[in-house]
Amino acid sequence: MLHEFRYGGETYDVLLERTPKIWTFANHCAHPREDGRIRIYFEDGTKAWAHVAKVGDVWWVHHSGRIFTLERIEAGASSDEHQGGLVAPMPGVVLEVLVTAGQSVEAGQTLMILEAMKMEHRIVASESGLVTSVHFNAGDRVEQGANLLDVEASE
Amino acid sequence: MIQRVLVANRGEIACRILRACREAGLSSVAIYAQNDQEGMFRELADQSVLLEGDSIAETYLNGAAIIQAAKDTGADAIHPGFGFLSERAEFAQAVMDAGLIWIGPSPQAIEQMGDKMSARQIMKAAGVPVIPGVEIEEEDEALAMEAIRNAAKETGYPLLLKATAGGGGKGMRVVNAPDELQNGAQSARREALAAFGDGRVYVEKLLMKSKHVEVQVLADTHGRCIHLGERECSVQRRHQKVFEEAPCSTMTSSLRERMGQAAVAAAKAVDYVGAGTVEFLLAEDESFYFLEMNTRIQVEHPVTEMVTGVDLVREQLRIANGEPMSVDHLNIRGHSIEVRLYAEDATNNFLPAIGPLAVFRPPTGPGIRLDTGVREGDEVTPHYDPMLAKLIVFAPTREEALQRMRRALDEFVVLGTTTNIGFLRDLCDVPEVVSGDTYTSMIDDLYPNGYQFLPRQDDLDVALMTAAVAETTGMHRATVASSHGSVGVASPFQTLNRRYP
Repeated sequence: MLHEFRYGGETYDVLLERTPKIWTFANHCAHPREDGRIRIYFEDGTKAWAHVAKVGDVWWVHHSGRIFTLERIEAGASSDEHQGGLVAPMPGVVLEVLVTAGQSVEAGQTLMILEAMKMEHRIVASESGLVTSVHFNAGDRVEQGANLLDVEASE
Repeated sequence: MIQRVLVANRGEIACRILRACREAGLSSVAIYAQNDQEGMFRELADQSVLLEGDSIAETYLNGAAIIQAAKDTGADAIHPGFGFLSERAEFAQAVMDAGLIWIGPSPQAIEQMGDKMSARQIMKAAGVPVIPGVEIEEEDEALAMEAIRNAAKETGYPLLLKATAGGGGKGMRVVNAPDELQNGAQSARREALAAFGDGRVYVEKLLMKSKHVEVQVLADTHGRCIHLGERECSVQRRHQKVFEEAPCSTMTSSLRERMGQAAVAAAKAVDYVGAGTVEFLLAEDESFYFLEMNTRIQVEHPVTEMVTGVDLVREQLRIANGEPMSVDHLNIRGHSIEVRLYAEDATNNFLPAIGPLAVFRPPTGPGIRLDTGVREGDEVTPHYDPMLAKLIVFAPTREEALQRMRRALDEFVVLGTTTNIGFLRDLCDVPEVVSGDTYTSMIDDLYPNGYQFLPRQDDLDVALMTAAVAETTGMHRATVASSHGSVGVASPFQTLNRRYP
């Protein structure tokens, strides 16, 4: 699963990997509990807790005595500093279509490349799944917010 | 005999007093404004009375309505807490005129200590040291300069020139040496004249690296007036205390005795009754000078309670009831530290913050006391003071108290509203705080360009992972729809109607 967060003016990509019950990222592992806490496992065998709550679009995380406010960037949300999701972030032209309907894709995989405002924008899968349909071909004009392709998440 | 106490306050201090009433077997009445309808303090009172209106002038500062509420509910005493009406002599008088018991000192004592100039005169007469200073009455330029030169000989250098009529730093000059005096005095007088239409200045000794040390006093109506030792509150930001401790790290028993005697003399000079605090500046050479007297219970009173074992609010109730205080000999043991938890952004010039308390999980365990007026699920609004709680620790030594405070702050989880917890935690590692060499301008000196927080990459990675896992697995149990948008920081313009006790 790929997520994007904004913290302190920077944008961070988080690509989680999943083994049966444990999520991993940057050599740390996490196991969510049902009480709003998450158990953290470090490489060296030590453990810690993180507390988490969502207010609006912001995840508030308490870990190691510090509080982090991480604003979640919705996949496909219009933003000039991120790569976009499955809808066109702005009006433009499709440069390349990298997948076809029926194809399996991984979270983080580039599906399509758009050119808009003289810049290239990658359309990236936010989660692993199956491409069910592709709505545009290379060379097509797209309007802002146009649905570019559909991906059905695998469970 | 007091049987029912109306608490003319809100939030944390109202909770503190209402609990003391419950413990003393007294029934209690709270007053509240509409926007405090869900306030925790209401739950701690036997009944509560709504004061209509949107402004604090109509509610917590509405003396007539508060006295009426006391009469309507059969309350026989009023406790003002701190802030709001606690130091308004005319309110104290009105309470007494209405036949109610005022839990505090006499209106005369409040008035005498409330006026800075009259307090200074009374203290001088009582033999309490005041900051050496001379008022320059001369209007004529040449005569004034002559008087300033003579005054400077008396106070010594460095000295401070202040506009007699002024405030807000206008007409204020620091003069480090005699050869700077002429220029400094001329520009201070010019600035004072331009700003206030009054060029008179005041020459005062400037105390470098001084500590803010205050002495708790207690006086009853049976002729006893004692001090309960000192608190040090040097760590301040924007003249607001954030970190308070008892005892003062550099205190000696002989200095405590001298400061204690001065505080008792100050209280006696105004026939003080009840709990009060005499604030001093303590210079590096152990000389100390009267600043002001707070004629009420103070925010930081718990640290004194921790090291003396005295329940100050219970003593206030006892004394107001005409009983002798129950305090025996002063016996200070251990060390206590209090930090003030504010809803504010320490990385943005301490701008007050608002938002929901989506998670509010205070620390527990040995030596920890939390005085608060909020709980999980409450909303922090811009209507009142942004202080959420006071976290107080007690331990056998100062070093252990600091260790306990670090642990407690690390455990404290507040999500949904920006707080100064991280800033307070960083303060605990500042060398001056660790060694006890704190002084009033320390925070300004430590962070000349403002406090910043840079997380360790590992901690940020864990936070990012946590948020991503929570998002993926739909941990929306603790999710709160904010009425104020995402990360709430109040506009500074909304804070103007607040009173900071």
